[in-house]
Amino acid sequence: MKKKLVSLFLVAAMALSMVACGSSDSGSAAETPAASTDSAATTTTDTKTETVAEPEVASELTDGKFADTRKITVEIYDRGNEGGSDPENNMYTEYIKKGMLEEHNVEVTFKKVPRWTEVDDINNLLAAGEAPDICVTYSYPTVLTYAQMGGVIDLSEMVDTYKSDLPNLWNWLGEQNIYWDKDPKTGTIWALEGRRAEQQRINTFVRKDWLDKLGLAVPKTTQEFEDMLIAFRDNADTLLGKDASKMVPFSVSYDIGWRAANIITSFMDPAISDKEFYINGFDDRMVTQTSTKDAVKLLNKWYNADLMWKDFALYGSGDTTEDDMIKAGYVGAFQHNWDYIFRNGEDGINANLKRNIGEDAEFIAIDCFENSNGKYAKWLYSRAGDRKLFFPTTNTEPLASLLYLDFISKPETVKYLQAGDEGVTHEVLDSGAIQIIAAEGDAIQNSGKNIDYTITCNGTNFGDETLAALSLAYGYAEADPELVDQANKIAMSDGLDPKNVNVGVIEAEAGVGDTLSAKRDQIYDNAVVASEADFDTTWDSYMADYLSSGGQAIMDERAAKWAEYFGDADMLP
Amino acid sequence: MSKQTGKRSKVRFGVYMKKYWQLYAMLSLPLLYLLIFKYVPMIYVQIAFKKYSLMESVWKLPIAANHGWEYFIKAFSMNDFKYALRNTLTLNLLDLFFGFPAPIIFALVLNELCFPRYKKIVQTIAYMPHFLSWVIIYSLALQLLAPNDGFVNMIINALGGSSIPFLNEESHWIGTYIGFGIWQNFGWGSIIYLAAIAGINPELYEAASVDGAGRFRKMWHITLPGIKPTIVVLLIMSLGNILGGGFDRPFAFQNNLVMRVADVISTFVYRVGIKGLQFSLTTAVGLFQSVIGVLFLLIANYISRKLGERGIW
Repeated sequence: MKKKLVSLFLVAAMALSMVACGSSDSGSAAETPAASTDSAATTTTDTKTETVAEPEVASELTDGKFADTRKITVEIYDRGNEGGSDPENNMYTEYIKKGMLEEHNVEVTFKKVPRWTEVDDINNLLAAGEAPDICVTYSYPTVLTYAQMGGVIDLSEMVDTYKSDLPNLWNWLGEQNIYWDKDPKTGTIWALEGRRAEQQRINTFVRKDWLDKLGLAVPKTTQEFEDMLIAFRDNADTLLGKDASKMVPFSVSYDIGWRAANIITSFMDPAISDKEFYINGFDDRMVTQTSTKDAVKLLNKWYNADLMWKDFALYGSGDTTEDDMIKAGYVGAFQHNWDYIFRNGEDGINANLKRNIGEDAEFIAIDCFENSNGKYAKWLYSRAGDRKLFFPTTNTEPLASLLYLDFISKPETVKYLQAGDEGVTHEVLDSGAIQIIAAEGDAIQNSGKNIDYTITCNGTNFGDETLAALSLAYGYAEADPELVDQANKIAMSDGLDPKNVNVGVIEAEAGVGDTLSAKRDQIYDNAVVASEADFDTTWDSYMADYLSSGGQAIMDERAAKWAEYFGDADMLP
Repeated sequence: MSKQTGKRSKVRFGVYMKKYWQLYAMLSLPLLYLLIFKYVPMIYVQIAFKKYSLMESVWKLPIAANHGWEYFIKAFSMNDFKYALRNTLTLNLLDLFFGFPAPIIFALVLNELCFPRYKKIVQTIAYMPHFLSWVIIYSLALQLLAPNDGFVNMIINALGGSSIPFLNEESHWIGTYIGFGIWQNFGWGSIIYLAAIAGINPELYEAASVDGAGRFRKMWHITLPGIKPTIVVLLIMSLGNILGGGFDRPFAFQNNLVMRVADVISTFVYRVGIKGLQFSLTTAVGLFQSVIGVLFLLIANYISRKLGERGIW
């Protein structure tokens, strides 16, 4: 009897679930963002063109302003700096919000995304349909993957149609950056490329005071660098006293391809053809370039000679353990972003060393990894091809969003965001140069020169290139301008300017970016920590895994596309 | 069944419902929960057989290649999936082998303690790790076991030994992983056994004492048989979970040096499917995982019933 009742109940529950299925179907159909967004957008533009009494403009703007207030959300990187300002709400966001409301009648809300896991986070937001209207990422494969699912707005028509409404954007980015990602066949533009105001990429840093203490000269060759590391290791007692066991002559993170990039590049054949570099070039850490294995072999030798940090692979992206070691003064040398030691004002690396160790304790930039031509070759950032700005299809205000990009590219905006208020964020020197000073509270710039806000412009610009060049060395609070100037020169010397090979979409690259990046790090990390005898087998077995997980398919497709567009030419036209 | 009885049961049903409707009203809430959070999402299982797009309704998606089996074929041709499958099985079997007996032994030992206050303290301390998240446990592990600045390795180095690669060498890593798993769970897991032990008739122990049985005899002949049904039910449930397992623990413990043994299905699904935006592929993998889990469950249940124990249904 009871059993019967229970089963009756279950049947009822089943029936109910069927009903629920049916209704959830219609629900999800209604939620389909693309369909609803598109129709909404077209209807609003239709009604607007009818009502607005200026047919020649053919847009919904009067003097660059919307008749009714529009709302957009904008992605902003959260760097999680200790004591930093709230990335969504500070002096600079207020400036942007006010300016956008006054000039375009657009209300801006910021949405923060952690800087060091931005690709993961933006993926999650996109998948959930909650991405900001204006998204920023360094990863083009992410944009492409969503574009292929129909999740990204094609900007190719809009940027041309509204060209007259976007003078600052066109002026700053120019055709090169706006059309950079234009598909050569279909003509679609999924993302606009931000522009770099500076091209410096990666420098090698060593502890100047350690060199002095040991009576060593600044190394000029790879061999001298190695000798220096050995001297650091052997003199740990002199250099660190009771902390001698914490000595790390050369420090890297799990991301070897970045943190040893100049060593890896120095092994590359200076005469490498554009074709070879492109075909093996999907990975920006050069893991599949033929010369890279030899470079990692050197690191492997160093690792096994106790010249490197043993724990590097255990800490993930964004972990501060290594930075803390560097700031505490246990590290002799490392490679990183060209200005890494100057960043973050009082919490910067050199600032910390001065405070914790002594006045003379500091890192300086050096150049010592010579290639077979005897040059200190290193990759620069491309002028174009920086951060990718795209609008997901959940964006119902593409025009307002483009106006935002225009506003953010305006010289006055760039100047204010990068330099802030005089006396608060900067001082003007006698030469006219802008010296950045340590700001407090709401005025703190979480990223150097607020590049996280000036998303179309990466690096010092101040809306005026002459002023920017004059001020470059004064761009870091608490940093010695001479050291900055020297680091800048070293970062640019013998620099290699990357080229853009635009052959349209490589199908094999979609959806595998993250997997292959993870695998690339595994190749590097495992090869570095392998015993010297096992190095070759380790490298080869991890590389085989990389290639069979999609790496080879990408190379094959790139080779085919190269042949299709450039025939048997070895170099770009 | 005759017409008469049918009528009678109808009448009884009405009376019955009138009397007990409150109970069923209360039951409806958990049932609703199951319905919304466990059954409705199953609609989307079909993604495994379709070419997924974010923008389309799931009903309108086109069927994938190879009669809908494209993504299953793709998964089985991926090295990473094979590794993940192997690692999930290995780690879960090791967990079962070492981790399953631990709470039973602990419960037995605890049951023999004669100072109630001491027993309570031990119990509480043993429960604590259960409330720590795996992220915290991993940071503890890092502080203790990192090769360069982990506490344990610093002691080993100070005593003249060389660092043990607990976290950065594959076989050591497996040991560490299993060890922390046991540490986190043995206290909490013992609760259900202690409850079962408490339900054993004390007269049995008295009778055994009269017969001259010692501590271990009583444990072996009374306590263990007394909690056998509980053990069997829990064993069946763990077997059903042999391809499952959590996400946090392997994810927190992974690093680039041990990925070949540390990547399990749940982290594979996250990495390749969700981060790599291959939703159909991950759904296929998830479906495969569930089907195998159900198979294991059925087999374990069948065997247990054959052996004369109660199954879980």
